[in-house]
Amino acid sequence: MANEPVIEIRNLSKIYRDFWGRKKVQAVKSLNLEVYRGEVFGLLGPNGSGKTTTMKMLLGLLFPTSGEMKILGKPASDVSKNEKIGYLPEESYLYRFLNADETLDFYGRLFNMSAADRNRRADELIEMVGLTKARRRQLKEYSKGMTRRIGLAQALINDPELVLLDEPTSGLDPIGTREMKDLILKLKASGKTVVMCSHQLGDVQDVCDRIAVLFQGELKVLGRVDELLEIRDEMQIRTGSLSEEAQAEIRKVLDKHNVKNASIQRPRADLEELFLRTVRESGERPGRRFTTEEIAAGADKASGK
Amino acid sequence: MDFDPTPFNASEAWISWLRLVGVLSLCAIGLSFILAVARNGSRGVTIFAEGLKGFLSDLTSLNPRRIFALASLTFKDAVRRKALLVFVVFIALLMFAGWFISDSTGRPELQVKKHIALVLTSIAWLTLPVVIYLSCWVIPEDIGLRSMHTVVTKPVRRIEIVVGRILGFSSVATLVLGLMGLIGYGWILRQVPAEVQSHLTCRVPVFGQLYFIDPAGQPSRTGINVGDPWMFRSFVQGNSRARAVWVFRNMTPETVGDELTLESRFEAFRTVKGSESSIKSGMEAQYVLVKNPREEAFGGLAIGATFRDFADALREGQFNNAAERANELAEKIRTSPREIPEQDYGGLFFGSGAANQVLDALATQDAGKPGAESISALSGKFLKLSETVSALSKAQESAGNAPFLSVADDLASIAETLSADAELLRERLPRLEVPLPTFNVAEFHAGDNVSKIPRRIQFTADYETLSRFLSSRVEALNAEGKLVSGDALSAELESSLEQGGPMSPENARLLATVLNEQLSAGELVIADGKLSPSQNRRWLTFFDTLVQKEMLVSQDIEGWKLELDLFNDLTTMNNLRVEVACVNDQMYLGMARPDLFVRLPDRSFRVGYFKSILTLCLMMLLVVVIGVTASCVVKGPVSVFLTLTIFILGQFFHGMMDRISGGKEAGLGLVESATLIFQHRNPNAGMDASESTQNFVRSLDSVSNGLVKGANSIVPDFGIFQSSATYVENGFDVPFDSAVLPSIAAFLAFLIPCILLAGACLKFRELEAK
Ligand SMILES: Nc1ncnc2c1ncn2[C@@H]1O[C@H](COP(=O)(O)OP(=O)(O)O)[C@@H](O)[C@H]1O
Ligand SMILES: [Mg+2]
Repeated sequence: MANEPVIEIRNLSKIYRDFWGRKKVQAVKSLNLEVYRGEVFGLLGPNGSGKTTTMKMLLGLLFPTSGEMKILGKPASDVSKNEKIGYLPEESYLYRFLNADETLDFYGRLFNMSAADRNRRADELIEMVGLTKARRRQLKEYSKGMTRRIGLAQALINDPELVLLDEPTSGLDPIGTREMKDLILKLKASGKTVVMCSHQLGDVQDVCDRIAVLFQGELKVLGRVDELLEIRDEMQIRTGSLSEEAQAEIRKVLDKHNVKNASIQRPRADLEELFLRTVRESGERPGRRFTTEEIAAGADKASGK
Repeated sequence: MDFDPTPFNASEAWISWLRLVGVLSLCAIGLSFILAVARNGSRGVTIFAEGLKGFLSDLTSLNPRRIFALASLTFKDAVRRKALLVFVVFIALLMFAGWFISDSTGRPELQVKKHIALVLTSIAWLTLPVVIYLSCWVIPEDIGLRSMHTVVTKPVRRIEIVVGRILGFSSVATLVLGLMGLIGYGWILRQVPAEVQSHLTCRVPVFGQLYFIDPAGQPSRTGINVGDPWMFRSFVQGNSRARAVWVFRNMTPETVGDELTLESRFEAFRTVKGSESSIKSGMEAQYVLVKNPREEAFGGLAIGATFRDFADALREGQFNNAAERANELAEKIRTSPREIPEQDYGGLFFGSGAANQVLDALATQDAGKPGAESISALSGKFLKLSETVSALSKAQESAGNAPFLSVADDLASIAETLSADAELLRERLPRLEVPLPTFNVAEFHAGDNVSKIPRRIQFTADYETLSRFLSSRVEALNAEGKLVSGDALSAELESSLEQGGPMSPENARLLATVLNEQLSAGELVIADGKLSPSQNRRWLTFFDTLVQKEMLVSQDIEGWKLELDLFNDLTTMNNLRVEVACVNDQMYLGMARPDLFVRLPDRSFRVGYFKSILTLCLMMLLVVVIGVTASCVVKGPVSVFLTLTIFILGQFFHGMMDRISGGKEAGLGLVESATLIFQHRNPNAGMDASESTQNFVRSLDSVSNGLVKGANSIVPDFGIFQSSATYVENGFDVPFDSAVLPSIAAFLAFLIPCILLAGACLKFRELEAK
C-alpha cells in the first residue's frame, strides 16, 4: 500500500509552439516519474526548468506533446480527478473582487459542497491560514503573503488526497515559511500526498521525502533526500559533553585508528550544494541522468576538501 | 400598416434547424478529427475518440450548483465593472429627450409612436455595447489573468463555465433591460400628453384574406395598378362592380364581442381634378357585409371561360337556368369534347373540388334542416365530377382513352339535381348583402377609418332578402299559431307582425292585407290551424312571386327595414366576408391585405410594451451567447469585432443576404461587377476579357455567392427581435405567433449550438497558450 503510485508519468514531453505551430521551447523532455501515496515529493530545478509545466500537464491545463500520465489512476484530461486534488498555483490566480469568505464559498460550490459544509470548511481554513481578521476584505487589498495563504486555503477546500503546490513559500516571510512547512508536514501526517515545486532548497530539505531535480526539462536526479545527501566515506560520532579523561581516551582510540572526527552518524551535505553541483555538471554533460552513486561520489569529492 | 404578418411555422423551422445543426456538427467533428490526426499522427485517433467521449460525458454531468456559482460570480464581476452605470446614461437621456420630442401638434398616433420608439430604441442601443463588452471581454481576461486556472482545476466541466457565464451575463442583461423597461414605461405614461393617451393601446388585429372582383364581376388576384411601381397596393375602380373582398376567419361573438370594429387605412387615387373642398373631404368608400355561400361554392367554376355561364347562373341562384347550362355543356362535351380548351378542364377540376368542399361544410352545418340532403347530394356529385375530370387529364397526359363521356354524364346528373331541388337549394343558399354607411378616405395621406358595427344590424332589404325575411317571419308566427284563428287569419296579425321586429306599422298593415287577399284568392290555404301556400309551394317561392308581382312595395319611404344578427345570419362557417367598394366615379381606392382588419377588443399598452421588452431582451441574450462563444475562441478585442460584425450583418444586411442567396437580387456577382467598374463597361456589354477569364471571374463569383449563402444560414436575423417593437410603436399588440415565438425560437436555435461550440473550444484549447 505504501508503494501505491498516485502519480505516474511516462515519457512525458512538452514542446511550446507559437501560433504557427513552430517550436519555441522544449519545456519537458521525456520525463519519467512516480509519486507514491503519503509522501511529500519535491520537484526542484532552476527557473524555467519545466516544473510548473509538468504540474500544469498533470492538472490538464496543458496538453502533453507526447507521453502518458496517470493521476489518481485517471488520465490527466479527466476532470473528475479534480475532486480529490488541491492545487496552489505559482501565483494565486484568484478573483480579486471577492473577499476571503466569498472566495472559499465560490470554490466550495465548484466542488458541489453543501452550504453547511462550505461554511464549516471555510471557517476552519481561514483560521488555519490565519486570515481571520481579513476575511471580509477584498483580495485586491491583500499583501503577497496573505494572497498566498488564501490561495492555500482554496486549494484545501475539498480536503484533497493529493495536494499540488507550486512554489508554496514564495512571497512568504520566514515565519510564514515556517508555518507553511509545518502545514505540509501536517498534511503528510494526515495521510495526504503532497507534490511541491520549489527552488527554496531549505524548504525542500526540511519537508520532502523524495525529490526530483529538473534541469532544462530533463530529470537529473531522483531519490530519497536522506540517501541523496549521504556522504559514504565519512563517519560522525556525536555525543553529549565528555569528561577530559573520556575525551582523551576516545581520542586515543581514534588516534590509534587514525580517525579525526567524532560523530557516529554519517554526515549530511547541504541540499544547496547538491543542487548547485547538479546544475553545474548538467551544464558540462547535458542529456545525462545522475545515479545516486554518482551523486554520492560527487558529494565525496566535494567534501574531500 | 405596412407589414403583413405571417405566423411562424414551428415545425418547418425545427426541421431546417435540425438539418443545419446536424450538418455543421458533422463538419465540426470531421474537422477536429482531421486536426487531431494531423497534429498527433496515429495517436490522434485515440486522442480524438477520448476527447469526443469526454465531451459527451461532460454534457451528461452538468451540475446546477457549479453553474450557479459561476453565474453569480459573473454577475458580481459585471457589477464591479460598473455595467449598471448604463442606467444613469439612460435616465439622463430620457430627461433631456423630453425637451425635444414633446410636440402636441402632430397626429396623435405619431406622437405616441415617437415616445415609444425613443424609449425602445435607446434601451436597445444603450444595452448593446454593455452586453458586447461584458460577454466578449470577461472570459479572455479570465484566461489572460489565469484566474480560470484555479477554476478549471476544480471538478468544473468547461462547458459549465460557458453556461454559467452565459447565465450570468444574461441575468445582468435582463436586469438592466427590465429596469430600463420599467423606467421607460413610467416615462412614456408621464410624457405622452393627456389628450393622446387613448392612443397608448394595443390593438389586436385579425387580418383576412384579400382578393378582388374586377369591374366585370369576375374574381381576380389583384386589382388595378395605377402605375406607381413601388406600390404594393392594388386599386379598385370607383362606381363600378369592382370590389376588394376580405374574408375574415373565426368571427364568433366569443372572439369579437358584441360589436365588430373594422379599422382601415386605404389610399385614394384620383384621375380627375377636384375642387379644393372635395379633395379635403376625401373620397367615399363603403363596406358591404356579404354572406354569399353561392359565390363561395361556385365562384371557382368561373375560371374556365367555357363554364362561366354555368357558374354565373349558379352564383345568381338561378338553379333551373344553371341546370339548362349544364345540360348544354354535357351535350357539347359529348359531341365535340376537344373544342373545349384544356385549361378550362383544369378550371372545372378546381371549381368542382371547391364546390364540393364548401357544399359539404354547409350540409354538415345545416344537417337536419330541409334541403340539407339535396345540398349534400349536390356536393357528392361535384366530388364525382372533380374526380372524373382529374382522371380525364391524367388520361390525356398518358394519351390513354379520355373519359369525356363520364364528364358529360356527371354534368347531366348535376343538372338533374339542380332542376329537381332548385327551390330547396335557393332556400339553403341565400345571398345577403348589408351595405353600411359610406365613409371618407383622406387623399393627402393614407386615411384611417374606424367603423363600429353593432351585432344586430338594421338595413333596408333588397328583393331577395325581403322574400327570405318575410317567409321566415311568417313561418315563425305560423309555428307559434299566431297566424290563424279559426278558418280565417288572426285579427291581431298586424300588431304581432309589427311587434316582432323592425317592421314599420305601414308595412305591417300592407303585409296583413296582402295575406288576406291571397287567402281569399286561394293562393293560401288553412289546414289544422296552420296557414300554408297552396299547391305545396314553399313560403320563399310564394313571397318571391309576390315580390316579383310588385305587390309588396314598401309603404314606408325608408323601405322594408330588416334586422340581422351579425354572427348568426351573416357568417358562413364563422367566416365573415367584407367587400369594399369605391363610391366616387373616376376615383380609385388602393388597398393591400394589412389595410383592413377586424379590431378585436384592445389589450392594454402595458402588455404589448413588455412583450417587446421581452423580445429585446432575447436579442441581448443572443448577443451574449454569440459574444461568449466568440470569446472562448479568440481574444477580447477580436471577439468584440467578431460579435459586432455578426450583429451588423444580421441587423442590417440579412435581407440582402436572403435575396442574394435566394437568387432574387438583380445584377451580377461581386467580382464581375468590380471588374466592370474598372473597365468602365456596363453589365449589358459584359467584361472585356477572354472566355476563360470570364469563366474564372464567374466561378469566383459563385464562390462568393456560396459564402454569402453560408453566412446567411449562420448569421442570425436580428430583425426578428425588433418586429415586436414595430408593432407596439404602431399601436398594435405583439402577436405571439409571428413575433414573440420566432424570437424565442431564434434565440434557442443559436443558444444550443453556441454552447456546444464554445464548450468544445474551451475544452480542447490549452488555457496557457496565449
Ligand atoms: N506559455 C508558455 N509559452 C511558451 N513557453 C513557455 C510558456 N510557459 C513556460 N514556457 C517556457 O517553458 C520553460 C519551462 O517553464 P516553467 O515550467 O514555467 O519553469 P519553472 O516552473 O520550472 O520555472 C521555460 O523555458 C519557459 O520559458
Ligand atoms: Mg514555475
